[in-house]
Formats: sequence, C-alpha cells, structure tokens
Amino acid sequence: MRCALALLIVLASAVVSAQRSAIYDGERQVRLEGAVTRVEWVNPSAFVFIDVRDPGGVVANWAIEVGNPIELERHKWTRRSLRIGDIVTVDGVPARGPSHQVLARSIVHKSSGKRLFETPAARTAGAVRSAPPPRWPDGQVRLGPAPGQKGYWSPIGPKALVESTAANVRMNDDGLLMNLADADRVAPMLPWAKAVYLLRQRTLLKDDPMTRCMPPGGPRQFQMPNGVQFIEQRDLGRILVLMGGGNRNWRVIYTDGRPQGQAAEVVLTYYGNSVGRWDKDTLVVDSIGYNERFWFANGGLPHTEALHLVERFSRPDLNTLRYEVTVEDPRTYTRPWTGGWTLQWVAGEDIEEYFCEEGRTP
Amino acid sequence: MRKAAVYLIGSALALSALSATAQEGHPLTGTWSGDWGPGAAQRNHITMVMAWDGKTVSGTINPGPDAIPVNAIALDVTKWTVRFEADAKGASGPARITAEGRLDDIASAHRTISGTWQQGTTKGDFKLTRD
Repeated sequence: MRCALALLIVLASAVVSAQRSAIYDGERQVRLEGAVTRVEWVNPSAFVFIDVRDPGGVVANWAIEVGNPIELERHKWTRRSLRIGDIVTVDGVPARGPSHQVLARSIVHKSSGKRLFETPAARTAGAVRSAPPPRWPDGQVRLGPAPGQKGYWSPIGPKALVESTAANVRMNDDGLLMNLADADRVAPMLPWAKAVYLLRQRTLLKDDPMTRCMPPGGPRQFQMPNGVQFIEQRDLGRILVLMGGGNRNWRVIYTDGRPQGQAAEVVLTYYGNSVGRWDKDTLVVDSIGYNERFWFANGGLPHTEALHLVERFSRPDLNTLRYEVTVEDPRTYTRPWTGGWTLQWVAGEDIEEYFCEEGRTP
Repeated sequence: MRKAAVYLIGSALALSALSATAQEGHPLTGTWSGDWGPGAAQRNHITMVMAWDGKTVSGTINPGPDAIPVNAIALDVTKWTVRFEADAKGASGPARITAEGRLDDIASAHRTISGTWQQGTTKGDFKLTRD
C-alpha cells in the first residue's frame, strides 16, 4: 500500500515509447471530443480512434495514442475499457504536420466522467522494498530471476546517455536536448560528430534508424521502453540479452574466457562482439566490432566502426541493476568517457512480444 | 535454371536491402559514384572511396589500375562543404584535380556531394552519390 502511494500517476503514453519527439509537437495542445470508432490494442502503443466533428460540420477520424498495452493491462485497462460509440474527451499533444493524430495526456469518458488509461509510470526511489540479489549456488550474482521465478529489467529515470561528469543536461526520454547549447556537455565529440549530433537534434531525430526498425545496438538496448532480459547460459559460457524493444532480437555476451578479437578481424554487427568476465559481483563486458548503421544511444550520438565499449553491470539488490558504460571511439570522441543509469526489476513478468514494423501507421 | 533465377532474385533483394541501409558514422566514409564534366554532353564517370581515420579523410578516385590517390580532403562541418585535391595522369601529362562541393541529404544512405570540378584547365561540375 505504501509502495502504491509512492507511485506517480500519469498517463502511460507519456513515457512508454521512444522517438515521439519527431512525431508530436510538444509545444501545442489540443482538446477533442468524439465517438470511438475503433480500438487498436497493439504493442508497443495502443490507439483509440474517434470521429471528431469540426465547427463546420466536417467529420475527421483522429488516432489517439494512449500508451503501451502491456503497461496498461498491468493496471487493469483492457481493449474493452472503451466501447465503440462511447463519447470521450481527449486532451493531448497533436502530431506535427497535417495528420489527425494525438498523443493523449488525458482521456475522459463523457457520460461517466471516468478518466481512462491512467497508469503508475514511475516509482520513486526507494519506494520498492528490496532484498539481496539472487545468486547461483557458487555465490555469483544472477542477472535474471531466482529459480522458479521470472522478471525482467526496465530502465528508470533518464533514458539518454550523457557523460557522468555533466550535471543538469536536460533532455527528454528520446534524448532530445532542451537546450542545444548543452551538446558539448553530453559527450566530448570531435567537430564532425558534434555537427552530426546537432543536425539530428535540430531535425528532432526524424532520421533515427530505429524508426526503420534497425536494432538498438550498444547502450541503447538498455534504454528501450519494453526492457531487457538476461538469460545466463552458464553451461554454454554465454549470456543472452533479450530485447523487449527494437525488433525482438538478442545479443550474445561470451563468458567462456575467450579473448577479445581484433577489431579488424571481427564481422561488424549491430551488437558487436562481446566478451564478459565477472569482477567480484560486477559483470564487465568488452565489446568491439560495431557497424555504423545504428545510433548507439537515444538522442543521436554518432559513432564509427572504431567504437569500443566497456560495460559494467552490477546488481546491488534484487530490484536494482546499475549500468555503466565507457565509450571509446577516437574517430568520434576526443577521449574515452563514461555514462550510465539504473534499471529496475519488474518481478513476475516476462518481456512481451513486440515486432517493429517499418512504416506502420495507426 | 530455376535455381539460378531464384539465386539472382535473392541476390537482387539482398542488394536492395543493403542499399537501403544508411551509414550513420562519419558522413564522408564510404564509396561514392557519379560523374563530372564541362557540360551535359561530356561526362566522365567517377568512383570515389573515402575513409575517416579520426584525423584525416583519405580517398581514392577510380580504384583499380588507374586509381588516383586524393591528396587532401577537407570537410567544413559549419557549411557541410567538401574540398578535395588530387593529381591525375592525363594523356598529355599530369592534371591537377580541384573540386569543391556541398554535402546534401546527410541523413540519407544515398547522400550527395555536388559542386565544381576542375581537372587541368578544364572546368566543370560534378555530382557524387554515396552507394
């Protein structure tokens, strides 16, 4: 109960999906009223469609993005929470351009006055009672659930990679800076990289490869709204990282003691060539061999094939996964730099099915 | 025969998928192709390969037996302009190449560079598209 009181109540749609900055115009607000014509309950975002009559009597069908259906169902909202023909009032942020699409901030059922699709979106720090991390029989920390249980990791707090020494760099969940003058504090970029980063920021991240269903390689896999799951295959000497976002794909971290290859010899991939070792309770993963076809963090930080990442995963308690990454890419950054964030354990659930569909419209 | 057709179709699909994938690293890195010439009626094919090593962009025009190493490539990121110089071997002796162009559609896999090209005493225009 105390835990529940500590939750912040907001509409799920405000937090669940990345790349909204390119779609919606956060500077504007609209209020719509109309009858429900369709409910599309699909991952990663559910839509309600309503017919809205303008003052001239012309009717247009609007798509209202209401949030992630998994998150919504977790809080007892279902595809049947609204019926065809129900009249609703929607307050939200309209899409850029002429399309009839809105990101809902609130939806109110007109006849009952009930507010729909509200979910607890963020837990306040320390609100969740924790326990020691689960361990293997030999004492090593598990990154997954204890035997017989299930769960996955979900990012909390900022969802963008920023150098850890930079204070108060304000950006949204997509990694879009509130003030472009902060670009120099995000990471120590070479001039070309800063110019590319600013170009991506100024164009509101519209060319993000993830919008074309390219995988979220590098730290970005731990920024995905649908979370990640670790499958530790100790007998095979590897850990699989299953992505809830991106395109339902996975990454392999080899823990069989093999040495890291030479960058010039490995096949360049989206998730790179990763070898990991345990340093007491911290998994240290060294990765090279990345291709240049993706953005490795929300917000459009560039990289080249010279990208070298050292990631550190530690689980100080059951519910907390600390993620820290040192980025080294001398063709993009003036020096190695480090950032990170925390992921929170979502107990009793698995990541859900999500397939990215290029060009999907609601 | 049918196997060969399937293979060809498969290869074509694979190539089209590859060509649709953007390159998100240094904007000059990659293979570019296009042409230059003094006018529409007289065009010369160019293939140019560029690579960024963290300090300089190196390049080669028309790789192969008649390759021309590019001496200098400069990218001005404040204006997204590119300038490069090379020494070609012409029929009547060496011919200096100086080209200056603008990088456009930077976010695209098929970004372009277009501008002016001078080779020896011949002046013209050029356009390169990243493959």
